[in-house]
Order: sequence, then C-alpha cells, then structure tokens
Amino acid sequence: MNIKTKALSLTTSATIWLIVVITLSAELSSPLKNFLTNLTGHHWVTKGVAAAAFFVLLYLIIARFTEEASNIKKETMYVLWSSILGGLVIFIFYLWHFFFA
Amino acid sequence: MTDALIGIHAFLGEFGIFAFLWVFVELLNPTPDRVKRAKIAALIGLLLIITAWFIGGYYYVNTYSPDVKPVIKSGETPWAHSIVMETKEHIFLFLPFLALFTFGLIKKYKDKLVEDTKAKIPILLMSGLIVLIGASMALMGYLISSSFRGVLEAL
Repeated sequence: MNIKTKALSLTTSATIWLIVVITLSAELSSPLKNFLTNLTGHHWVTKGVAAAAFFVLLYLIIARFTEEASNIKKETMYVLWSSILGGLVIFIFYLWHFFFA
Repeated sequence: MTDALIGIHAFLGEFGIFAFLWVFVELLNPTPDRVKRAKIAALIGLLLIITAWFIGGYYYVNTYSPDVKPVIKSGETPWAHSIVMETKEHIFLFLPFLALFTFGLIKKYKDKLVEDTKAKIPILLMSGLIVLIGASMALMGYLISSSFRGVLEAL
C-alpha cells in the first residue's frame, strides 16, 4: 500500500481535534454524553470507535484527492502542534471543570 | 484479575513507549540496518499501544468506572479522577494515531533516511512526542493509583 503522507498528517491532526471537540462537547452537554453512552455502553468507548472510524474514512477520502506532501516537516508540525495544543485544551478544560463549573 | 489487567495495560503501554524511544535512538544516526530496525520497532510500538488501548479500555469500563472512580471521588483527592484520569483517558486516545502516523513516515521514507539527514527530523520529533506523552500517561497512572490506595488506607 502506497502511503500518502499529506493525507496521513491531515487525517491524524483532524482525528486529534475530533477527540478534543467530542470530549469537551460531551462534558458540556448531558444529552450528547448520554447519546455517546447509549451507542456502545460507555462514552469513552464510543469516542475511541468514532475516532478510529473517522481516521480510516477521512484518510481514504483525502488520499484520493490530494497530491503527495512536498514538505513533510511542515506536515509533521501540524500533527505535533495539534497533539500539544489538543492535550493542553483537554487538561485546562478539566482543570476549569473541576474548580469552576 | 483486576490487578493483572492494570499491570498488563501499564506493561504494554510502557513497552510501546520504549519501542518509540528505540526508534528515536536508531534514527539519530541512520544507516540501512538502523532504519530497518527502526521500522520494526515502530511496528512493535504501534501494536503494543493498540493492545494497551484495548486492555486498558476493558479495565476502565468494567472495573475502574464502577468500582474505583466512586472511591477516588469520595476521598480527599477527587481531582485524581476529575482532572488527572479524565485528562489521561482522553489524551491516551491520541497515541494510537500518532504511532500509526510515525510508522507511516518511516515506511514511506525508509530509503531517504540514510542519504537525506533532514528527512529523519520529523520522525525524531514524532517519536520524542510519543515518548513524552507516554511518560505523562505513566505519571498520571501513578497519581490515580496512589489516590485510590490513599482512600483505601484511610478507611
């Protein structure tokens, strides 16, 4: 299988932000959290399944329509900063949620 | 059985992280043999992290959520769940995708890594990031376990 790194980096970054958005949205909306829980029995399991399915589907779509990356360092930096910022957003959100919500 | 599951989860997760440390070291000064070993190490790391995800997830859903979480939340350190565990369980979800991305980079650029010294930088950065996130997972796991033990000892 010929890997397309631009599609892989965009998909990885997008999946990280999907996890961040679902996580925060579910904490702020009980109906959404209940919906996620009802799908698989636990909201965390649904988030993992959704992230994996999203990753596969998005990669297949993007790989079909994008050219190969010309600057792999730039593509990697998107993934790197998405991970760092996404992780910080989750941590700061739960800090806020514990102390102020 | 519960202790065994959490032990296996930690073992797999830590060795998955060590595999990416191995990738990092191999690619500091790449040769054809080192690149080949880095690719094997990244594949091992990816498989270990995915297995840790499944086993940790089984433990989290079937034991932690019903039995451990209420104990921690009733104690003097409820933040161990509300901040640390919540952060850990969600950032953990990044790791399989980061590991897959890193493995994909090595697989794609394996022939370039020896000649083009700049080609290794993205893989070194990603491996380093996985190791740092993994180390933070271990630290958070220690805080959560310590909090649970603290509550039980106080009873």
